[in-house]
Amino acid sequence: MTIERRSIMRALVVFVLAAVAITVFSAATAQAGEAHDVAALAHGVATDIATPDDIGEPAAGTSPGVTDDQFDRDNNRVLQSIVNGVVFGLLLALASVGVSLIYGTTGLSNFAHGELVSFGAIVTYFLTTQEPVGLPLIPVEFVIGLPLIYAAIIGVIVAGAGGWVQDRFLWSQLRRKGIGIVQQMIVSIGLALALVNLLQWWIGGGDRRLVTAIDERYQLGPVYLGEQTLISTIIAVVALVAVGYFLLFTRWGRATRAVSDNPALAAASGIKVDAIIRLVWIMSAALAAMGGVLLALYENGTAFDAGAKLLMLMFAAVTLGGLGHPFGALVGSLLIGLATEMSTLWLAPDLKVAVALVILILVLLVRPQGILGRAERVG
Amino acid sequence: MDFLVDALGEAFAPATAAFALAAIGLNFHFGMTGLLNMGHAGFMLIGMYGYAISTQNGAPIWLAVIVSMVCATILALLLGWPTLKLRGDYLAIVTIAAAEMVRFLGRSQSLVELTGASSGIRGTEFKGTFEDLSPFPDERVAVGPFEYHGSFSSSWWLRVVAWTIVALFALLFWRLSRSPWGRVLKGVREDEDAVRSLGKNVYWYKMQALVLGGVIGALGGVLWSLGAAVQPDSMGRPTTFWIWTLLLLGGAATIFGPILGSVLFWCALLVVRRVTSMVVPDTWIAQTELEPFSLMLVGVTLMVLVVFRPQGILGDRRELAING
Repeated sequence: MTIERRSIMRALVVFVLAAVAITVFSAATAQAGEAHDVAALAHGVATDIATPDDIGEPAAGTSPGVTDDQFDRDNNRVLQSIVNGVVFGLLLALASVGVSLIYGTTGLSNFAHGELVSFGAIVTYFLTTQEPVGLPLIPVEFVIGLPLIYAAIIGVIVAGAGGWVQDRFLWSQLRRKGIGIVQQMIVSIGLALALVNLLQWWIGGGDRRLVTAIDERYQLGPVYLGEQTLISTIIAVVALVAVGYFLLFTRWGRATRAVSDNPALAAASGIKVDAIIRLVWIMSAALAAMGGVLLALYENGTAFDAGAKLLMLMFAAVTLGGLGHPFGALVGSLLIGLATEMSTLWLAPDLKVAVALVILILVLLVRPQGILGRAERVG
Repeated sequence: MDFLVDALGEAFAPATAAFALAAIGLNFHFGMTGLLNMGHAGFMLIGMYGYAISTQNGAPIWLAVIVSMVCATILALLLGWPTLKLRGDYLAIVTIAAAEMVRFLGRSQSLVELTGASSGIRGTEFKGTFEDLSPFPDERVAVGPFEYHGSFSSSWWLRVVAWTIVALFALLFWRLSRSPWGRVLKGVREDEDAVRSLGKNVYWYKMQALVLGGVIGALGGVLWSLGAAVQPDSMGRPTTFWIWTLLLLGGAATIFGPILGSVLFWCALLVVRRVTSMVVPDTWIAQTELEPFSLMLVGVTLMVLVVFRPQGILGDRRELAING
């Protein structure tokens, strides 16, 4: 793992430029900065407000030990954002493992992956909500109102089936026709555009909440965690471990990695490449849907473009970890999750995503193959 | 048959010209050089910010246009520097990311005094210098069935200027695509290694194409903002995908492809909306659902085009088969 001196120099130049830019930025927006601090505080309060006994605390804190309290709170904010980052990273990993698997086995950068994420969340919403919902073109509204857990399971299964449909009727056909990889990428962009609008047509604009109850919060040491968040995290970890086990220790998993490594060689050694790719599509779509549902719970709402907004983060994570490397998605997602959440300590929360994109560009400058990727010429 | 007149009016609307110009820029990237720029809306947005903000601060119109071009140049240099040496899909990911970044910065609350955050910059604050130049009367003027204002907002003045600029850049594309420089770019598109073995600096040629196309995109953005307003969310990812759709529809690597594509795209969008709302009952597709419905069709069109007719209407399949 040798890094060239020129790469380091380039990275340094970029870092210095970025630092200068941020300094100029904050100088130019000094007043706005004040407002942002207040906003950040307000944000903190808003997230804490769910625990009723917590509201009394700041009032008590206004007594003599203000500086201590300030220090504690700063510390807690750092810890809290680390925890949030890990949680968000795990959920992001769930969503983006599919991007990496699909890229690895077929070479396609799937720009429609974000829609798979929103699809899972929206199917779940459709099945569980108490609001009247309808289907496009059918002028009847009804309430299904299944319990969340069944709705989520059905949502993931439907999404998996959707993955099968996509590969069976679109991607395998394109591969058979010998359509180039760039053309396929543009097709995936068209598909993303079509799907996101289909979802908007179906469910309408605006936020949709999967659950209406207020999430109960637990205090673990200095940090707060919602009950839903805790359960989501556990589900995400279990799912990721299962994916890891599948890839490392099962026959099909080994075959998947073989296809990822070299499709032609895998085919020559008797692996059914098309079947593996079909399986990868089903798995990726189901995992993305699961990630979508859990993220909808974590962020307390979903929307038709929730996945589209996530797409850039997923690409950043996958590129950072190593495009096509199955475990790269996990490493990259955790790092991106941490970076975006921790950036809110210094930057306005609405710049969260921009931070991830800056990281993406820096990674491409210094180590285009990502953290786990093999060093090879990609140009 | 009101909508036919509207559709014809749409064919030479400022927005159509703006998208045609942006598509000419993308044609330099993709049609000529084969660069997969998926963040063209970012160039448009940075161009209109450059123009609007410098006008707000009292710059004359020529300076504002130069500022907007310089902004686009800087963005192109920053983007091209890490990615032009890498494989094509990296450029796609980075450009899309950069375009989103421009948008996020633009709508970020921390820059509200400069960019007006998510509500953008209102037209009245930056259109003055352009509208003062108008030789047309200060009232609504009717020509045939079309009636627009002489000099304000999406006026006759803007229409004339916009289409003149589009024509100029189409001419530029024609001249450059036949020049030695253009031939090198086409060589890069077809086979990079072959061009490299002829001793050309491929990286530098790609960079020139990226900058030129980006600057044209920025001018397209300025035209758009003169017809509407500076609004960061109107220049999101979907906008880039529309430009791709209309470029591939008209035919990439052709001179009139972007223009024909833009005209067809906007007319078709309008006709689809009007016809659907007339033919399909309200209970099936409500008025609010027309927008997503017609845009869904855009996505499907893009898919179908790429698979079945990648050369578009005017293109030549031998000249340009999209390849990796």
